[in-house]
Amino acid sequence: MKATKLILAAGILMLLLSEPLRAQVAAKLAGTVTNQSGAVVPNARVSVKNLVTGQSAETQADSAGLYNLPNLMPGDYEVSVSAEGFPTKVTKVTLTQGATQTVNLTLGGVLSLEDLGFSQTQTQGSAQDQARLDKRSHMLKVHQRIGLIATAPIVASVITGVFAGGKSTSSTDRWTHLALGSAAGDLYFLSAYYAIRAPRIPGTQTRGPIRLHKALAWIHGPGMILTPILGAIAFNQKSNGEKVHGIAKAHGPVAIVTASAYGAAILAVSLKW
Amino acid sequence: MKQKILITFLFLALTTFAQTDSQWVLSQSTLTYHVSHPLHQTDGVSHAARGKGVCHAGQCDFLIAVPVKSFDSGDSNRDLHMLQVTRGGEFPMVMVRTSLPEDASASTTIHADLEVQFAGQAVEYKQVPFEQAKQGNETKISGTIPATLSDFKIDPPSLLTIAVKNEIPVRVEMTWRREK
Repeated sequence: MKATKLILAAGILMLLLSEPLRAQVAAKLAGTVTNQSGAVVPNARVSVKNLVTGQSAETQADSAGLYNLPNLMPGDYEVSVSAEGFPTKVTKVTLTQGATQTVNLTLGGVLSLEDLGFSQTQTQGSAQDQARLDKRSHMLKVHQRIGLIATAPIVASVITGVFAGGKSTSSTDRWTHLALGSAAGDLYFLSAYYAIRAPRIPGTQTRGPIRLHKALAWIHGPGMILTPILGAIAFNQKSNGEKVHGIAKAHGPVAIVTASAYGAAILAVSLKW
Repeated sequence: MKQKILITFLFLALTTFAQTDSQWVLSQSTLTYHVSHPLHQTDGVSHAARGKGVCHAGQCDFLIAVPVKSFDSGDSNRDLHMLQVTRGGEFPMVMVRTSLPEDASASTTIHADLEVQFAGQAVEYKQVPFEQAKQGNETKISGTIPATLSDFKIDPPSLLTIAVKNEIPVRVEMTWRREK
């Protein structure tokens, strides 16, 4: 009974002594988190990691930028501080037994773009530049979509042209071909308008497949003007019961070259080689 | 005599202090982003990055920056489209900041916490592994930043109305030169 009381008393004594003892041994890390101009950075997260044991602790700085990490074992630590809008800062500190180490932490990049030799014109963008890019992209998207839609009546008018231009053609065949050709022409010129009117971006050179895409426009562009003119002549000759003759005979070949150049222009920006 | 000793001491002290600070300069770089599209696998390359690292008290702060429009995918139309979707007109630079302990240059692999500022957004990539190899006074660093379009709130660009994949890993190959 006596022995039990003794053990109990010793246990209570140890419990009472352990906290002050720990407080005496433990180190404390404290300080202020500021930015480069010296202003406090509130609510920054400060974490420490013991480089030997790997044990870590974390706290959050208060609204005045003050942080406090008590009860740390003496030793070498890696201190990491982070806050929104700042790159994480990591530093090392050695804590000694029973001492309070004050480490003021400065957030913010040490280096600036000027240090790298970039001029202001290179580093500063503008809403106008972005608006020009947005308008260009928007117009080219419309160009692309209408251009793709135009493919259907172009192909259909080439196919119907075979029936419209034959020996035994009906007026229905010719009118169908004419309607499809007109739809193809309208969509083509609408698409071309968006490509031509899309804003140019200063200082850019045309490189890659888009060069071929643009070059082919010099074939299908005039072709799309010439084809309906020749088609109209051929249509009149046929409607008058005549055989297609003279310059109108070129309508078919010109249309095929135009449609081929148009298809190649689409493929030029769709396939990679 | 005392004055001479004092001057010598001051000189030595100043030299010692000066030696504690050093800096790194980016001498060569190749940054390559990769875009996947059902019709295309595209790489955009830039050699225009500039960078510096300033070391003090065992810690080095690095800044690497590259103009968005310097990336060349071999097609000016695509590059302008990328410039537009990444809001390069308004935010013309990509900036990468990182902080590393000075002794990190001794190991063959470094894990860097990167803060990337791009397209008006700041995104952190934690513990990105980079291989490093020393060659004389120079150190070659290579690795891949696992960037995605959604990280930077970028709408995926599309070709023939089909959007590209969200992942745009950026391969980094850099040569750094240490200067005292």
